[in-house]
Amino acid sequence: MEEMMCYIPKTLEEALEIKSRHDVIVLAGGSDLMVSNKRTLGLAPKFDKPVMIVRNLPELRGIYINEEGECCIGAGCTSAQIAESTLCPWHLRQAASRMGAVALRNSATIAGNIANASPKGDTPGPLYMLDARVKLSSVSGSREILVSDFIVKFRTIDLRPDEMITEVIVPLSEDDFDYVFWHKVGTRKANAISKITLSQAIKFNADGTVKDYRVAATATGAKTNRSRDVESIIIGKRLSPELIEDVIKGFDDVISPRAMPEFRREATRRMIRRFLNVADTHPEGKVIDTYDGYYVVGQPEPRVL
Amino acid sequence: MECKEYKIEFTLNGKPVSIATNPLRRLIDVLRDDFGCLGVKEGCSEGECGACSILMNGRVVTPCLIPVGAANGQDIMTIEGIKETEKGSIIVQAFADGGAVQCGFCIPGMVIAAYYLLSRNPNPTEDEIRLGISGNICRCTGYDLIVESIKLAAKRGGEIWKR
Ligand SMILES: Cc1cc2nc3c(=O)[nH]c(=O)nc-3n(C[C@H](O)[C@H](O)[C@H](O)COP(=O)(O)OP(=O)(O)OC[C@H]3O[C@@H](n4cnc5c(N)ncnc54)[C@H](O)[C@@H]3O)c2cc1C
Ligand code: FES
Ligand code: FES
Repeated sequence: MEEMMCYIPKTLEEALEIKSRHDVIVLAGGSDLMVSNKRTLGLAPKFDKPVMIVRNLPELRGIYINEEGECCIGAGCTSAQIAESTLCPWHLRQAASRMGAVALRNSATIAGNIANASPKGDTPGPLYMLDARVKLSSVSGSREILVSDFIVKFRTIDLRPDEMITEVIVPLSEDDFDYVFWHKVGTRKANAISKITLSQAIKFNADGTVKDYRVAATATGAKTNRSRDVESIIIGKRLSPELIEDVIKGFDDVISPRAMPEFRREATRRMIRRFLNVADTHPEGKVIDTYDGYYVVGQPEPRVL
Repeated sequence: MECKEYKIEFTLNGKPVSIATNPLRRLIDVLRDDFGCLGVKEGCSEGECGACSILMNGRVVTPCLIPVGAANGQDIMTIEGIKETEKGSIIVQAFADGGAVQCGFCIPGMVIAAYYLLSRNPNPTEDEIRLGISGNICRCTGYDLIVESIKLAAKRGGEIWKR
């Protein structure tokens, strides 16, 4: 019987070497791949190509701030690591801290969440919003592209066969904004695939006009949604009820939820309206969130175990 | 096409072990079938119920999602090892005394989740306890007595949890 190889490299260099010579499936945390390739009880999952296991590569597990002040997160960092790290931007920590449940967060990696290219993945929302890039490496060098370009469409990524994601670089953080918002709508608190997650951030100029505004939604279409055109509706202007409705209308035209579309649209509209309305009152605090239907303003502090 | 066999070595409950096997076999199957760790329960097979929970390098994970090749060189603790430790035995005793156990199927995973929680947070609030076991599904108890038993374990362990 013909047998398939499996690779368990000990270093990143070895992993890239293998990738340059063989067409392999990269397995990190395994939380997507082991489910999608599973067979009946007791049988090993079956893959149609050889697998390379990178879960324990030490080079992919670091988090640091580079010389430009950007947060650099190793591809193999887990959701738990990100949620626990004070170096990581608040929106991303929020998203990571609400993925799956405790054990899942100790397996699920950021690269796996991005490469999976599912519109229901939680980390692309913050990553799109904060202009994050992925670093793609091969034996012949590396390149960086925006996460929002890397995810080409549903389940499709811009990755060459000899490349791997090695780092995720996030240039912005909550410090670049006056008010931030992140909310996950799920059916229960643990192990719930998102119905929607919405990330928002706003910064005002000294004269009260909007300097920067961003909004990104996951699980509301074939891909994570963000639109610079919609954001620019309020940039350079003072917020008004009419302009806020224009943003809501604009974003409503961008998203294209298929299941429960009216629920997803209405929830998105309300979250945008409330965030902008509350931000416009310039309250003390930084985080505007919704809790039991009320809007609360507080300081950034993601819950971690 | 089946995958070739490789020699995989790891530490299981404090002892070095090795096995020649398909590295894509699920860690849950290897622990149960090859190493007799039958306390590693299989509920959902897809990471949602927490019944199979173990510690890998001190972090709680679900081995139904992990190929055994990913355990190569790593440190694995199952309920069989945890219950023999001072901290583990405090939880097991608290579960028994607190009436936390009905059919028992979810309990090894619950004990591991409680162990992980209390090792990181010796004095959890009720909310934190519920968050700590939120990935573990129990079809019998309604969770309340499990939560109470974890409070009991926190109290009985006291300073031990801070070590
Ligand atoms: C119980 C459960 C709950 C879940 N809950 C959530 C949730 O709340 N939110 C959410 O977003 N997701 C959730 N998921 C999905 C999944 O856990 C995440 O998408 C996770 O981040 C995947 O990461 P991984 O490392 O486990 O991926 P893997 O399964 O190892 O890989 C996934 C994909 O990424 C590719 N890949 C991995 N690393 C690299 C790399 N370095 N370079 C190139 N390609 C790479 C793989 O080839 C594969 O195509 C859940 C899954 C389960 C089983
Ligand atoms: S069997 Fe592993 S989580 Fe359910
Ligand atoms: S005691 Fe029966 S499933 Fe928890």
